[in-house]
Amino acid sequence: MNENPPDPAPALAVSGASFSYGRGPALEDITFELRPGEAVALIGPNGSGKSTLLKGVLGLVPRVSGTVTVLGQSAAPAGSVGYVPQTEDIDPHFPITLEQVVMMGRYRSLGWLRLPSRRDRDAVAHALETVGLGPLAKSRFGQLSGGQQKRGLLARAVVSGPRLLLLDEPFNGLDQENRDALIGTIDRLKAGGLAVLVSTHDLELARAVCEEVLLLNGSQVAFGPRDEVLTLDNVQRTFQDVGVEMDEHTVVVPGHEGH
Amino acid sequence: MDLAGFLFDGFALPFMARALAVLAALSLVAGVVGVLVNLRGLEFISDGLTHAVFPGIAIGFVWSGQDGLFVGALIAALVASVALTLIARSKVPTDAAIAVVFTAMFSIGVVVVSREANYAGQLEQLLFGRLLTVGPAEVVQTIVICGVALLVVALTLKEQVFRAFDHTGFSAAGYRPLLLDLMLNGAIALVVVAATSAVGNLLVLAVLIVPGAVARLLTSRLWLLFPIAAVFSGVAAWLGLALGYAASVDLGIELSSGATVVLVLVAGYAVALLARILVDRLRGRTER
Repeated sequence: MNENPPDPAPALAVSGASFSYGRGPALEDITFELRPGEAVALIGPNGSGKSTLLKGVLGLVPRVSGTVTVLGQSAAPAGSVGYVPQTEDIDPHFPITLEQVVMMGRYRSLGWLRLPSRRDRDAVAHALETVGLGPLAKSRFGQLSGGQQKRGLLARAVVSGPRLLLLDEPFNGLDQENRDALIGTIDRLKAGGLAVLVSTHDLELARAVCEEVLLLNGSQVAFGPRDEVLTLDNVQRTFQDVGVEMDEHTVVVPGHEGH
Repeated sequence: MDLAGFLFDGFALPFMARALAVLAALSLVAGVVGVLVNLRGLEFISDGLTHAVFPGIAIGFVWSGQDGLFVGALIAALVASVALTLIARSKVPTDAAIAVVFTAMFSIGVVVVSREANYAGQLEQLLFGRLLTVGPAEVVQTIVICGVALLVVALTLKEQVFRAFDHTGFSAAGYRPLLLDLMLNGAIALVVVAATSAVGNLLVLAVLIVPGAVARLLTSRLWLLFPIAAVFSGVAAWLGLALGYAASVDLGIELSSGATVVLVLVAGYAVALLARILVDRLRGRTER
């Protein structure tokens, strides 16, 4: 990481971008940059546009103005962006093993009509080692704990060697052990040059792995180095609630934590 | 009559052999497609498709008899699967839309058939099938249609499973779900077309849905689901046909062969469900 030039080309550059599902903008006027080996935390209340921004970067939510540049291109090159969705939508009874889920991350580079080769299986095993779930490879995905499922989806997101990683609320409902494991994994991936964009309302995560913070509430409240942006005033404006309290670990928002 | 006689004797007759050939082809493809229907939770949409294909079948049948049936059904299947894919993609609640559109389509089919001279008999054939009077040409048509449907899903099977598991992750990986949805709904519609002359439009749904549901009960290993569904469906079809034949020859009871096959399928489901519950009890866990 230290060999990098002081200001490498950004892995992700968003400038004046607004996104909309069709009926009015869902998220307005976003401008920030993310460099390789660094992480940006997206922080905001529920419905503030965190998931919309992640999906907008992926091209899944239409952009109505501004620009999004992923790895120097206007559309994310296939396989270069890893994405960890929220796990709430996943059917816990779906008959599939952890390693089969991780293998899905290889499908795109594998192409249609082709079956996984030895190389793909090795990549899956390596990704599972990276997130510390090697011994659970053959387990049913739905029987894993919430934290293990998220780490499994992280393995799927990195199994094809992306250069930009997007995580949607990866820390929701995790116990301390899975939280520590996830932070450790993200740190190692960053050290390998991966750029990370992670949505959360957990300041511990922001402090542990993110250099910069983007505060959102339907539009951009603030962006910049973590310690400059995470002021009580900014956080209160983001959550539009003067009942917000902050300590060094968490934002305490009545009615917002514990999802 | 001994067991081997029960299982094999009837199929020496050409019409029984043809019925078995049609059901074997249907079982194979309905098993594979049915597992995807189950994984995607598309049971209701499949029901809609069977209704939507009906006017095509009716119009084709009235127009030019048995040959027209396949042509009309294929056109209706194509239109219905595209319409359905688009309805399901829109953000309005889809169940009501599907129910309204497709019961309307079904009614159109009934109206078309009702203008024919031999109304009751023809409607019965279309609704409940005429498995034992399937001709050699229809056997070939059925096998070709099943082959196309099987090819469409088999070639995209790993992507279909990915899509079923995690829609957002699938889109995020750079796939276009619309293309896959069109292919799967098209394959379902083809199964409906192929199965209509054999088991009839009303019973198609059982052929599509029961084998996949049975496979889900019997295994949680992904790639075993497909062969289990296909083999279960084939065995049930065989037993159903043999049962209908034995009832007719030995007891003089004429059973509707399509409905007998469907009842054997459902009985198989009941047995699988019971077995699943027993195994879970023995293992002392509630996880399926």
